Amino acid sequence: MVKRSLAMQLDEVVQAMLVSLRPRPEKAPDRELTSLMHVAQGLRDLPREEFRAALKSDLQRRASMSESTAATRTGEAKAVHYQRPGLTAITPYIIVRPAAKFMEFLKTAFEGVEQMRMPAPDGTIMHAEVAVGNGAIEVSDGNEQYPTAPAAIHLYVDDPDATYARTLQAGATSFYAPTDDHPSGDRWGAVKDPFGNHWYIAKPRGWTPGPEGLRSVQPYLHLREAHKMIPFLEAVFGAEATGVHKSPQGAVLHATIRIGNATLEIDEAHGEFQPMPCHLHVYVPDTDAVYARAMAAGTTSIEAPRNAPYGDRAAGVKDAWGNSWFIATYLGQ
Amino acid sequence: MKATRRPARKRLAKGADEGVPGQAARRTDERVLVEAAQRDPAEFQALYELHFERVYAFVASRVRDRATAEDVTSEVFHKGLSNLPSYEWRGVPFAAWLLRIAANAIVDCAKRAAREFPAPDDPPEPAVPMDLQDSQMQAIEHRAQLFRLVGQLPEIQKQVVYERFVEQRSIREIAQRLGKTEGAVKQLQLRAVQNLRAQMEGGHG
Repeated sequence: MVKRSLAMQLDEVVQAMLVSLRPRPEKAPDRELTSLMHVAQGLRDLPREEFRAALKSDLQRRASMSESTAATRTGEAKAVHYQRPGLTAITPYIIVRPAAKFMEFLKTAFEGVEQMRMPAPDGTIMHAEVAVGNGAIEVSDGNEQYPTAPAAIHLYVDDPDATYARTLQAGATSFYAPTDDHPSGDRWGAVKDPFGNHWYIAKPRGWTPGPEGLRSVQPYLHLREAHKMIPFLEAVFGAEATGVHKSPQGAVLHATIRIGNATLEIDEAHGEFQPMPCHLHVYVPDTDAVYARAMAAGTTSIEAPRNAPYGDRAAGVKDAWGNSWFIATYLGQ
Repeated sequence: MKATRRPARKRLAKGADEGVPGQAARRTDERVLVEAAQRDPAEFQALYELHFERVYAFVASRVRDRATAEDVTSEVFHKGLSNLPSYEWRGVPFAAWLLRIAANAIVDCAKRAAREFPAPDDPPEPAVPMDLQDSQMQAIEHRAQLFRLVGQLPEIQKQVVYERFVEQRSIREIAQRLGKTEGAVKQLQLRAVQNLRAQMEGGHG
């Protein structure tokens, strides 16, 4: 009995550590738990076994190729992770105007940290990236080809009430204030920002059925015939649907879908939460393969795979719901 | 923080030395390994096995995310392999030499990011203090040891650790994947962490 409760207590602190926006030592109620927590914190940085093995074989390959010329260029056989540093498998790409103002909103409301900003010749923002918690949001003013597309984002924060208040001060309007009555069991509030984006601001309580593999920033898609999105994402991205809740009629009330190391959520559009076709930037191990599967699954092409000047293999498709998927594989520096 | 380069290097070397148990014998062994790798690059893998966790622990504690940690770690070992012929045994342990490469790689990485995408409001901070205190070295050794010990856990506990901390999956998800109850997964998580703690306490001087 005592043991079991220790297992639960440890999981609570591990849980809090994994979802915290800014990892910091948790206050643990006793020394036993504190010392376990100390170990758990170290495990956060545990290297992936696959990475250790891949780098090893890279080095071996290089060593055998260049026995006499030890001064081979280092970039060549580098084991590059397919995701661009700073981004996870899924990042919302929000195109709104003026993007610079929107970035200010992200900073004020969510303590976002600007990671990069690439201005266009006319002073608008061609591309920018803002880190929010342990996730990121990409931002642009867009152009004719990429028109304005606000998004709905489920945002996990440490203090939803304070964050909610800051969004209102920064000009957002409220759908509802944070409440404990949300079906997810999380403390959950919702606002719409001045640019048309929805923000579902929540603090995880326990590990709720929704946000598996928790990230601070999770795109939330309200869809018509949402149930069809699940097989689509499974086929194209090898996605995994977890925690699918359906109504007796088969409508998706809520589902969490995992791609790589990140998740997004979907539900059947309802009430104030109608479809908002948006742009998503998805990092995959093989852009060409995913692009081919997407086309086979009936998407329309925005852009065939190409080596983009910023160092990604990149492609784009539009799905049947009007969402744009920017598929990318990071190729390294 | 204002230490000049030279003493900083010394301190780094000393720290790296003290953090590793079984010093004297080990350094001779390591010298043999380094010289073997200098003759034949294929032998470099022994050094990789010996130092991977240490380098990764150092890098991961100083960069923003896993992808960057992997990128930088990869760079460190590739540079280590390239520059091996120029490594001279002058009492600077090989570990200290690698960590010096790592420290530079982290700074370069920060500079590169700043150059490519200048953000006037927040100038990049120097990511690495150049003088590593003994206590910092010990923290790195401690962390590296933890990473190594995970590999020695019973298979199922190891699996739970990777699923939970690396993949960051929920207890529910892990339970589904392993065909166990959520309670059992939490119990395995506890056992794994307790095992690691016991070994860290036992194996650390």
